[in-house]
Amino acid sequence: MPAPEPPPGGERRPYADGPPTPATDAPLPGRAPLRLSPKVLLIHPVRMLPSLLLPLVGVLFVGGFSARSYGWAALGVAGTVMFAIIRWATFTYEILGDRLETKRSLISRSVRTIPLERIRGVDVSTPPMHRLLGLAVLKIDTGASGGDEEAELDGVTPAEAERLKTVLLRRTARAETHVPDAEAAGPAERTIISVPRKWLLYGPLSGAYLLTPFALAGGAVGLTFQWGDELGFGQDAALSAGEWLWTHPYLLLVAVLLLVVAMPLVGGLMYAVFNWDFRLKHRDGYLVAERGLVNRRSVSLESGRVRGYEVVDGLAERWAGVVRAWAIVTGLGDSQTRGQLLPDVPRAVAVQVTADAIGPYRSVLRPHPPVARNRRLFRAVIPWLAVAALAAVPVWATGQVVWWILLVVALLLAGLGVPLGLDRYASLGHGYDGLRLAVRSGSLRRSQAVVERRAVVGWRLRQTWFQRRAGVLTLTAGVGAGKRGYSAIDVSVTQGATFPAEVTPEWLSPFTQPATPPPTG
Amino acid sequence: MTSTGPLRDPANRVSPKAVRLWLLEALIAFVLFLGGSLLVARWVGGSGWSWVPGWFADNSWLLPGAVVVLILPFLAAEPFVRYAVHRWELSGDVVYARSGFLTREWVFVPVSRIQTVDKGQGWMERMLGLATLEIRTASHAGSSTIKGLDVQVAAGLAEQLAHRAEELRDDAT
Repeated sequence: MPAPEPPPGGERRPYADGPPTPATDAPLPGRAPLRLSPKVLLIHPVRMLPSLLLPLVGVLFVGGFSARSYGWAALGVAGTVMFAIIRWATFTYEILGDRLETKRSLISRSVRTIPLERIRGVDVSTPPMHRLLGLAVLKIDTGASGGDEEAELDGVTPAEAERLKTVLLRRTARAETHVPDAEAAGPAERTIISVPRKWLLYGPLSGAYLLTPFALAGGAVGLTFQWGDELGFGQDAALSAGEWLWTHPYLLLVAVLLLVVAMPLVGGLMYAVFNWDFRLKHRDGYLVAERGLVNRRSVSLESGRVRGYEVVDGLAERWAGVVRAWAIVTGLGDSQTRGQLLPDVPRAVAVQVTADAIGPYRSVLRPHPPVARNRRLFRAVIPWLAVAALAAVPVWATGQVVWWILLVVALLLAGLGVPLGLDRYASLGHGYDGLRLAVRSGSLRRSQAVVERRAVVGWRLRQTWFQRRAGVLTLTAGVGAGKRGYSAIDVSVTQGATFPAEVTPEWLSPFTQPATPPPTG
Repeated sequence: MTSTGPLRDPANRVSPKAVRLWLLEALIAFVLFLGGSLLVARWVGGSGWSWVPGWFADNSWLLPGAVVVLILPFLAAEPFVRYAVHRWELSGDVVYARSGFLTREWVFVPVSRIQTVDKGQGWMERMLGLATLEIRTASHAGSSTIKGLDVQVAAGLAEQLAHRAEELRDDAT
């Protein structure tokens, strides 16, 4: 690369396919294409086993456990192993100058070339079996939208993963050091936060994994039906067990209650397993998040591509004063799992960590006009009142219990809509501190996005007919990262025009008219 | 009439021929609605299902009638309202466009953030000599679609935008 000038957003330039530069900066051990560790051969067939199990069992049953059917089954297993070996033998990867090439020459040849400058991040994870064998999975994120565009090296030794990570991320990381914010590039690694274990207790509040008990129970029931025959008690037994349960509704109720009680417990457990020993680090211009007990995951996000963060708290979390945080990164696929910056931590800690890792938001949020409150209330209450009114008709006509229940439930929900609507209004807000803008909305899941001013690629003002009557509109800042757009809901017409003008005055100035009293709508 | 507070209207209207395009689209929508409701009316009216009230089974023309009465004013007004609302302007290297019928949208797209500019023509637009300009950035919310432009205007604008975008390209996104 003759020009060291860093284009932090080089992704839009077509990749100049020049002659591969001699790799002066990448001392590679040998120039030969590399293979994955042969130990993956122990993993792949085992992983294929579940999909193979049913046909195998089928063959055995149809064949009546004769020698011949065993032969067929053995052939199937052998075929799987062979396939895994061939797959392994025909897959190679190599770093050639400034690009990574992966080749698969199984039946058709396919070569995938990934320019190193396109690589946005490297995600190293170790699923249980890989960990047992001392292997890791390396996922290379290129910022392309489709999952197909990513490269995956499934089964490299941790040392090789580390080496690849350094080589693959070096180019972009070096470009990073030119950015004035070079304080982080000094030390090789700096831990921003290591989440203490006791904060894992906040897990159940997040509502994540809460439905796991039901999913597990459902899975177990499904499995019983599917495998009942093979396990020796037959589908009929399962069915009659279900019938028996149906005739004893109290047992069923107890089972459901048990599941409900198990919800926070199992959910919290899952949460702890996934977020075990969460660490956020700065390393060579990357933000690295590590977490997980069984499958230890390490996600590297290039700091130069981080445009902001989103702080999320649900109702229960707000009561406990804890929040979760995600990074807003340009061109990050699957950002919901990858972009996570923090699991549930106390709000003050989250504010401090996000300020340290990405940047602070140093301003307050401005409230939205009172008419927005009426709109929130209307939306939270009226639908349930409508349901109640509809239910009232058959109640009056027939007086059946079912309709009474529906009526009461709808009225209760309408009643709950009042605090909900008020809280939704209280959540609304937008602000700008000269560098970053922030918008907040939501109640059951409140979310505040903080985005750098330079990440804004456009503005959209949207006004439905109802909003026009109320004199409000929804202002969306288009951002080429994260959710692609962050909205301030129901700002006043004046706010809708002045806020973009405040954040990006040079864009709006040609279109703002000199002092005319703002029409009311 | 549709200005938002301190914002002024974009300078340029779309081509007057756009009214014809929208009328044509409204006509097609009308035919579809009418045909659909006629089919449903005949199907339900002639079915003899127990839950269908007698008065409806006897007068199944009521459904298409109601549909026509309800949607015709909207379909008839839409082209003209749209023509009044849809406006665009390119000033200070920012595209400012307004669009919508019942729901209005104002979009500001700075030329420096534009990734692609597409000029597209459907068969009806081709017939009328109109074109749609799609100005895309990295975000859907920051992207703009200007419908009903005259072909020459659209081509000129696309050319100008592509040219300026090349000069101004800002990679911060």
